[in-house]
Amino acid sequence: MSKQPFLSGKKGVLGVILLIIFLSALPIVLEAEESYFIYFLYISFIYITVAQGWNLVAGYAGQVSLGQHAFFGIGAYVTAMSWDAGLTGYLDPVAMFSSGAIAALLAVIIGLPLLGKLRDDYFALGTLGFAEILRVVFIQGKDITGGPIGIMLPSGRYAGMTPYYYISLGIAVLTLVCIWFLIRSRFGLGFVAIREDEQAAEANGIPLLRSKILAFSIGAFFTGLCGSLTAYYSFHIHPGGVFTLTWGLLPLLMTILGGIGTFWGPVIGAVLLAGVFELANMWMPELHTLISGLFIVLVTMFMPNGVVSLVKGGDGPPFLYRIGPFRSLFGQSNTGRVSDGAYENGAENTIQR
Amino acid sequence: MANEEVLRLENISKSFGGVKALNNVSLSLAKKKIVGLIGPNGAGKSTLFNVVTSFYKPDQGRVFLEGRCITGVTPYKICRKGIGRTFQLVKTFTSMTAYENVVVGALYGHKLRGKDAQKSAMEALELVDLADKKDVVTSHMTLSDRRLLEVARALASMPIVVLLDEPMAGLNPTEIVKMLQIINRAREERDMGILWVEHKVDAVFHLCDHVAVLDYGVKIAEDTPENVAHDTKVIEAYLGKEAVKR
Ligand SMILES: Nc1ncnc2c1ncn2[C@@H]1O[C@H](COP(=O)(O)OP(=O)(O)O)[C@@H](O)[C@H]1O
Ligand SMILES: [Mg+2]
Repeated sequence: MSKQPFLSGKKGVLGVILLIIFLSALPIVLEAEESYFIYFLYISFIYITVAQGWNLVAGYAGQVSLGQHAFFGIGAYVTAMSWDAGLTGYLDPVAMFSSGAIAALLAVIIGLPLLGKLRDDYFALGTLGFAEILRVVFIQGKDITGGPIGIMLPSGRYAGMTPYYYISLGIAVLTLVCIWFLIRSRFGLGFVAIREDEQAAEANGIPLLRSKILAFSIGAFFTGLCGSLTAYYSFHIHPGGVFTLTWGLLPLLMTILGGIGTFWGPVIGAVLLAGVFELANMWMPELHTLISGLFIVLVTMFMPNGVVSLVKGGDGPPFLYRIGPFRSLFGQSNTGRVSDGAYENGAENTIQR
Repeated sequence: MANEEVLRLENISKSFGGVKALNNVSLSLAKKKIVGLIGPNGAGKSTLFNVVTSFYKPDQGRVFLEGRCITGVTPYKICRKGIGRTFQLVKTFTSMTAYENVVVGALYGHKLRGKDAQKSAMEALELVDLADKKDVVTSHMTLSDRRLLEVARALASMPIVVLLDEPMAGLNPTEIVKMLQIINRAREERDMGILWVEHKVDAVFHLCDHVAVLDYGVKIAEDTPENVAHDTKVIEAYLGKEAVKR
């Protein structure tokens, strides 16, 4: 019994490349400045990136962070403050990269005590507390951060939707490609080992703290990039907007909905939830949250392993792609001893840890 | 050469609150030898392993690997220096395949890369007769296979010393015979010493060169299996004073 995972092998790579070409051509066909669909894809790409960043640290390495909004907010502020100070410009790649890098650096600094001393729920609470503290610091930052009102940027520079679309697409593709290779490398194998059993991981030579910080900071880097682009998009950055818990919870919801600890799960979950949000908002704005909430409850009830489990008739393993650097890159077939339900435990463990 | 010491424990003590789990325990292990470590439940056997692998810091005493003191070195470095171990309650990486489990030992435990890591992992799997199950996901393996897999994972990191914590626990008689063969094969094929904690005393006596007996954290005897089996203190510890009188 061969278990070729979804979108793998040469055909899969070709399919992904065609999809990227198709997405790149869309703004030309669709009249980017008018099209709601272009905006929808723009926001979906950002969601995909933030969700995949969280999936790396929580889904693969098993360290559930509830503070991703700290990295999103820092990314936005680094971009806004450096532009405001005249150090960088509009849609400046240097500013964007620095925003990601500083978010990653922050993850290292905060990861040392939080990942070093706290475990499971306590780590989750620690990250949440850290993000809340950061929000308060930015509210109280007076002239340096612009206080509760934040920073106004020159919105006259707005260059239309097209550049935003391409940049967000680029960030999402970059994120997915990086994480694709990362989870197949020995680092990815180490992350999963830590998630499954910390003691066994350590007893087999895996440096726990260093590996956890690596996953945490790579996730933070991509989240910071998204914060940066959002600063350029909204031209007004304030603590209540970019340090909101929403940016901490959305990646979690999307990833769990799509399939935690899988490569395509966060992608599917992000697009799906973005779609549900937008549709509910269009048709019944007054019931928006209710409908979105109901959708989330139903999916988690009937698909505990996420929507991605539908792709292989519901019995797909949580890793759509078997990890491990030395198996053939595009998912060797799996010995077919997979019984239904056995993976549910694995998925539960991931969340509980 | 015949008696090349690889592991030496000097006066190890460890307490948990009021419980003296280890009291001044010293022990020596040579290359190609198997030392059995037995003793009633709660005697401190697992604690000793946790001290050697630095999961616990000893209150007193030192651990030497090939003559170098390794006390207080972090657990992942202990592994890289050459001490592999298994756990009393099996700890495999359940969502990984057998091969992926073992390659962790090669990649991280001995910093092997590419083809070398692959080779080391496959050799370890072959040594424990699990090569044909390399692509089976661990959560679908029997307890016996998972215990063997843990041994293979430890071997893939090319250890100088292997600590086995009750590898026979929960196995049926056929599986026990199999595990005995594998442990013996590991000793013959690898240049290492094995420290083996076991509840199934007859199994250890079958293979090991020396037996050390722990009771309430104290090493009460160390000798050849034959002599230990007739040691009154040992019989007392296992069966109570009554048994000795009869
Ligand atoms: N982490 C710990 N905290 C408190 N007490 C412990 C801990 N680990 C072991 N002990 C105690 O130390 C003693 C020895 O335990 P252990 O080494 O597991 O025994 P064995 O493996 O020989 O059955 C027991 O009394 C046990 O309760
Ligand atoms: Mg024990």
